[in-house]
Amino acid sequence: MEVLERLFNAALIVAMLRTTAPILLVALGGSFTTKAGIFNIGLEGQMLLGAFFAVIGTIVSGSPWIGVLCGVAAALVLAYIFALLVVTFRANEVVVGLALNILASGMTISLMKAIFGTRGSIFGHGLVGLPIIRLPFAKDLGWFGQIISGYTPLVYVAFLAVPVLIIFYKRSRLGLYIRVVGEKPEAAEALGISIARIRYTASLICGVLAGLAGAHLSLGYTTMFTENMSSGRGFMAVAILIFSNGDPLKLLAGCLLFGFSDALSLRMQTTLGVSSYIILAVPYLVALAALFALSYRSRPRLIQETLATMGRALSVKPNGASGS
Amino acid sequence: MMSDRVAGLMGQLIAVAIALAIGAVIILAVNESPLRVLVTLIDGAFGNPERIAGTLLQMTPILICGIAACISLRGGLFNIGIEGQLFIGGFAATWVGFSFALPPLVHVLFGLAFAALAGMLWIAVPAFFRARFNTNEVVSTILANYVAILLTSYLTINVFKRPGGQPDTPAILESAYLPQIFSFSRLNWGLFIGVALAIGAYLFFTRTARGYAVTEMGANPKFAEYGGIDIKRQTFVLLLVSGAVGGLAGGIESLGVHHRFMEGFAPGFGFDGVIAALLANGSPIGTIVTALFFGALRNGSLLLEVDTTASREIITVIQALIILAVSAQILVRRRASDSTAGERRWKF
Repeated sequence: MEVLERLFNAALIVAMLRTTAPILLVALGGSFTTKAGIFNIGLEGQMLLGAFFAVIGTIVSGSPWIGVLCGVAAALVLAYIFALLVVTFRANEVVVGLALNILASGMTISLMKAIFGTRGSIFGHGLVGLPIIRLPFAKDLGWFGQIISGYTPLVYVAFLAVPVLIIFYKRSRLGLYIRVVGEKPEAAEALGISIARIRYTASLICGVLAGLAGAHLSLGYTTMFTENMSSGRGFMAVAILIFSNGDPLKLLAGCLLFGFSDALSLRMQTTLGVSSYIILAVPYLVALAALFALSYRSRPRLIQETLATMGRALSVKPNGASGS
Repeated sequence: MMSDRVAGLMGQLIAVAIALAIGAVIILAVNESPLRVLVTLIDGAFGNPERIAGTLLQMTPILICGIAACISLRGGLFNIGIEGQLFIGGFAATWVGFSFALPPLVHVLFGLAFAALAGMLWIAVPAFFRARFNTNEVVSTILANYVAILLTSYLTINVFKRPGGQPDTPAILESAYLPQIFSFSRLNWGLFIGVALAIGAYLFFTRTARGYAVTEMGANPKFAEYGGIDIKRQTFVLLLVSGAVGGLAGGIESLGVHHRFMEGFAPGFGFDGVIAALLANGSPIGTIVTALFFGALRNGSLLLEVDTTASREIITVIQALIILAVSAQILVRRRASDSTAGERRWKF
């Protein structure tokens, strides 16, 4: 009982929200490409490049805000190359995405060595993180105040983006266009929507959010850059995108599940003394389990749909025959 | 037919040239002379017999992983989990190597077979879900990589750690060593196994009905299904075989090169293999050439790090640029030939 009490408390929720934020930001970015019908495996690289250039920008300018801008700009460049190759050149999305991930990984390490002469990680050099925001009214709210106050700004951006995206997809013209392009490209074409332009737009918005996710990783979540510090968060986001189909609310649920498993496993390491390797594997295992479990669950619906289409096809034929 | 092939090859070469040019600009940007980097790379890869052997040594796992990738790519599937299968296979072979005392040849064969089996088991779950429920195999195999690397680290450090000493397992017995080819290099029979696998895969895809069925499925799954091919079964078996070859690559690394298992066992060979197979457009024989190219880049980059200020990761940048250039190039060609190029097979 005491162990359980030490595992589950307000601090656990705080830890969960902290670990959820980076993956939520990148997954929300991926929601745009997913909705537009692009399989974007390159999120990982955009996030990593964003994290790196956020650190560089901060060190050069002295302001973490300029750093965030630099991170976003870098991720945007990668997102633009992705869109150029996938949309304009119609290259295979998986191949391009993977190559961009490898590019981001190799490039950040090369540049780190060229600029700082070191490998591994960058910290110091006048690197400052984003400030922590303490909500003024939080003190009066007791434990709830503890939960909602005291994060770096991008955590708030991540969670506030969820309702914004819900409204965006439901109410805005661009949101509607993106959905049409993803779900029924033929219909979009018939309506005179430029599929290419919408897919470019979706890819670039995705780049902005992936860049923010990266900047949060190196300036908010930690205050340093480490080789391959995105450590598969971009891929986990893709797993969540697959089973949520890019819907913001389901995405949030999926990301909270990860944040929870991450935070809980980190605590189990300290309280129960489980090997750190096993602990580190937990988020990936959760992602896999969710991916498999939900693809199994979606099967009956698939079968139902197939049966329905077959039924329709069968019922149409006799009618057509009798008509002629 | 032939002119088509020549045009295709020219396309790949032009793409490589473009990528190298961009690479040169990036090298300039990190304050190093591209020419010096190139000369150092070539010198490091082929400068003397030892370096040539070193290049072939680096090429071996890339080639075998490349064959594993070819097998899945031919069927239109992406096994990106080769890195993980390599780690699992490497650990499995090492375990056989230090746990059993067997006669020399039997020990090696048993170790390699166990590595292949381990690689196959590692991909079995993603393969099953891909075949049965169409679960995206790209994501599931990538995520499985992280688990594989952490799991083998756990086994190495928390379960089988050599008393005292470094974070690695006990050494394998000498009876489990894959024989070396030259006395001056760790280059071993794995290279021959790799080339034999490439030729075997080539013959399978070009000379057998089953190989043709796989290629058919890769080109057009729906058409293949109408043609009477059991897509689900074939997908499952194909991914299992791909995983087994990935595991075998790990087994050869451990029995032929390291003779033990440690953290960071074979960084990136699985990904290099996927890239080599993509650059070769899924052709096993072509993969021998691209694997040699990437092996040379890797081996040359060791000298690069000593002789110049550039880091060896610059070669991964060049590799990525090559693939990006090639991926765009492939499409220019495909768009001219058939109209299904825009069909998105990996949509979910």
